Amino acid sequence: MSARPVAVIGVGQTHHKKARADVSMIGLVREAAERALADAGCDWADIDAVVLGKAPDAFEGVMQPELFLADALGGAGKPMLRVHTAGSVGGSTFIYGSHLVNAGIHERVLTVAWEKQSEGNAQWGLAGGRSGGIGAGGAFAPFIRKYIRDTDAPEYIGWMVAVKDRQNALKNPYAHLKIADISIEKVKESEMLWDPLRFLESCPSSDGACAMVVGSEAAAAAAPNPPAWVLGTAVRTELSTFPGRDATRPQAGVDCAHALYDSVGITNPREQIDVAELYVPFSWYEPMWLEGHDIAGPGEGWRMVDDGATEIEGSFPVNPSGGVLSSNPIGASGMLRMAEAALQVRGLAGEHQVEGAHVSLGQAYGGNAQYFSMAIFGSTQDAVR
Amino acid sequence: MPADDIAIVGWGQTPSVASTDLTEPQLCLAAVNDALAMANIDRHAIGFTCSGSCDYLSGGPFVFISNLEAAGAWPPISESHVEMDGAWALYEAWVRIQHGDIDFALVYGSGKSSPSDPALLFPQQLDPYYLEPLGLDPASLMGMQARALLDSGTATERDFAAVAARSRRAGAANPKAQTLPNGAGESDLDIDALLAAPYVRAPLRAHDLAPAADGAAAVVLATPAKARELTDHPVFIRGIDHRLEPHQPGVRDLADSPSTRLAAQKAGLGANGGGVGVAELYATSSAQELILRAALGLGPDVSVNPSGGALCSDPVMATGLVRIIEAAQRVADGTTRRAVAHAVNGQVLQHNLVCVLEGER
Amino acid sequence: MTTEKGSASAADEPMVVDDFVALTYHDRLPPETVRFADGLIAGRIIGQRCPQCRRVYVGGKGFCAMCVVVMGPESEIDVADVGVVTGYTIITPVRYYGQTKTEPFVYASVLLDGASSVLGGQEITGIAIDAVREGLRVRAVWKPPEARNYEGHSTRGWGSLAGGIVGFEWTGEPDVPREQYKEFAV
Ligand SMILES: [Zn+2]
Repeated sequence: MSARPVAVIGVGQTHHKKARADVSMIGLVREAAERALADAGCDWADIDAVVLGKAPDAFEGVMQPELFLADALGGAGKPMLRVHTAGSVGGSTFIYGSHLVNAGIHERVLTVAWEKQSEGNAQWGLAGGRSGGIGAGGAFAPFIRKYIRDTDAPEYIGWMVAVKDRQNALKNPYAHLKIADISIEKVKESEMLWDPLRFLESCPSSDGACAMVVGSEAAAAAAPNPPAWVLGTAVRTELSTFPGRDATRPQAGVDCAHALYDSVGITNPREQIDVAELYVPFSWYEPMWLEGHDIAGPGEGWRMVDDGATEIEGSFPVNPSGGVLSSNPIGASGMLRMAEAALQVRGLAGEHQVEGAHVSLGQAYGGNAQYFSMAIFGSTQDAVR
Repeated sequence: MPADDIAIVGWGQTPSVASTDLTEPQLCLAAVNDALAMANIDRHAIGFTCSGSCDYLSGGPFVFISNLEAAGAWPPISESHVEMDGAWALYEAWVRIQHGDIDFALVYGSGKSSPSDPALLFPQQLDPYYLEPLGLDPASLMGMQARALLDSGTATERDFAAVAARSRRAGAANPKAQTLPNGAGESDLDIDALLAAPYVRAPLRAHDLAPAADGAAAVVLATPAKARELTDHPVFIRGIDHRLEPHQPGVRDLADSPSTRLAAQKAGLGANGGGVGVAELYATSSAQELILRAALGLGPDVSVNPSGGALCSDPVMATGLVRIIEAAQRVADGTTRRAVAHAVNGQVLQHNLVCVLEGER
Repeated sequence: MTTEKGSASAADEPMVVDDFVALTYHDRLPPETVRFADGLIAGRIIGQRCPQCRRVYVGGKGFCAMCVVVMGPESEIDVADVGVVTGYTIITPVRYYGQTKTEPFVYASVLLDGASSVLGGQEITGIAIDAVREGLRVRAVWKPPEARNYEGHSTRGWGSLAGGIVGFEWTGEPDVPREQYKEFAV
């Protein structure tokens, strides 16, 4: 692939909160976009196209809201496209934007993903307005039960992930949840929501947006800050349910990872990737994706958690930003994974910077754990070794 | 602009009907299977799939996840979805196939308008702070646009009726379109009959407005090399582009479509219609067709909407893709060597896509 | 539309306006769903067998999504009303407009004997909520014939049993060994 090199030259995000009552939907997306433009050292006029992503329109109660948001994002006179691939949408939105540059169609593309959950009711939206809604946690809990049963993982693994991500969030000025006294005890004693998932093992509901400016080699050379090179991207989708489906290790996630690794020359992801931002809305998805993307062998994912390998100082840091467990503006959550992974290889992650990060992985998933979007970022075009 | 002229090698569309019992995935399945059969390729040869649909239209979150079942997503596929008409799904697939690592892409768009009332639904598509509370429905907005066109002095209500009469006559010959009354001809008698009808939103009458429908459409794209292997008459996308205008109708000249003009220029259409013999335009009112013809510089010699166009059948979320199919059909069958297709997103021509199609040079 | 609080002049108190929108959708049920719904009213659970891969789907959609081939009335067969729990969770209901559930409830996947596809979101009765487990043998609890109706069917989802069946109860039989349903788990 890679007809021509693509770089992330600007990253911006909002402060994520339960309710950003201080801004409209317009103000929210604009806040992220302005930060990304400032990082990229460019103006609205330098942007050739705008790509927007968000989860279902029912969450805010506006049909195709990009049509009214496009003005605030400098969309007039430009191409604008709205992506929707469920929870993975932030990742897919970024990937489509990168392809526009990759294919030589544009020089600089602004990609924006967002959700303003406080404007509507996501539980109502997920249930399609009907009673008996189970939420995302209810949909994923049976898969998690199966993972625990298949691998004999101890129940404290989920609590450990919940604590680690909240501790990382304390180092991220944009994170929503700031639980200074987070502890195993606290997670363990929180309410059981969807057996075996407890309240503190679950993501919050957030307002927030993320924006990334992707550009060509020339755009990267002109930008004031170091770029993150987009070394490879991959997307895969499978049916939401079918006879014989392995929902704890979806084949689409396996295929997506291998297509990505193969495209950038990664043969040993655990050694060759320095840091990963994985979409972990419920604690157990950290070990499940470590195994589901063949970073760890079967049953080894939870041992990596147990050994502290995924801590910010560990051998394979996962979600140094605090992850989806700390901030969940749903449509933006996938792009935040890409943005944070890019920041790491640019050396611009601030207090949650992983030392010596040259190759990073961004990943998002969605639907019934059936949609995957993944990307590898490098500090240089030949960072993978 | 990328170098490769991607080809359209297969297509399918369900009949557009006012209301169907079939589910949206069933509609998609029929269109996709027809497109694959026409291309004469196995579904596993597809390297990228992209669909277009709309949750609000279908009345539930994640409608595209159900529609995915028509695409054959096992084993897993490389796939994306736009919350837009299938024409934009085609655009994303066209971008993806440029990479050169895949041979074929599958595109489909679908929607069922019959379960809901467009007059109540589409105000939800407007700015929720300033426009949605006004309850402006699509017909009202199109009425304002038609009024602006009349006031510009470039068209009359009789011109509107002539567009409707011509569309209905063409649609009557299209088995995929709805058959509507007053489609017998283009005589003064027919136009007078249309003009005798009451206004729905002055100056527009029922025949001036696109009837929403249920339907789905699908297209198979191929690299030029694969296209030439499969067919002696490949249809190439010589250029495709789409451009947006401000959302607030009040800040736009509704009697013009500068974004269509810009998209046409970027797509390489060329001056004065660029020598196309056929134009398939997604006009949801007769006035819009006149606006689009002017923006594209189409002369009287161009055959506009020989399929009957959206004024006969508007399967929302598939209609734009159907325009590309109808234009491609007429290049493939030799009706014309060069054609242009247009698609719209949003109200009163806010966002326009232009696709230039040609046969072998 | 109701104005909730605040005013534009109080800088620190943003004005919040609730704008409640009601949209009505009228569904016409597809023929497959009508036959399935009529089957439930008659006390039958109708499955569709794919002509290509032979998988049996309960609440057939009119096509096999694995093979992408059409399944018509000729593909329809009766499926047993007994099966096994392949996976479950217990949901603590979240409150939202339209939610009527207030107490924790079981949300189980049930694989009926002779079927290839599991039925998700089933309630399990006749056993304590914390005794529900994978491998449990269960039988459908039918509504009395006069109470059966078209409840639960729509064009956005398939296989709702609500028109004829209220849930599943433990048969009292021993649990099914995992090997026998593992392939279908959750
Ligand atoms: Zn089959």
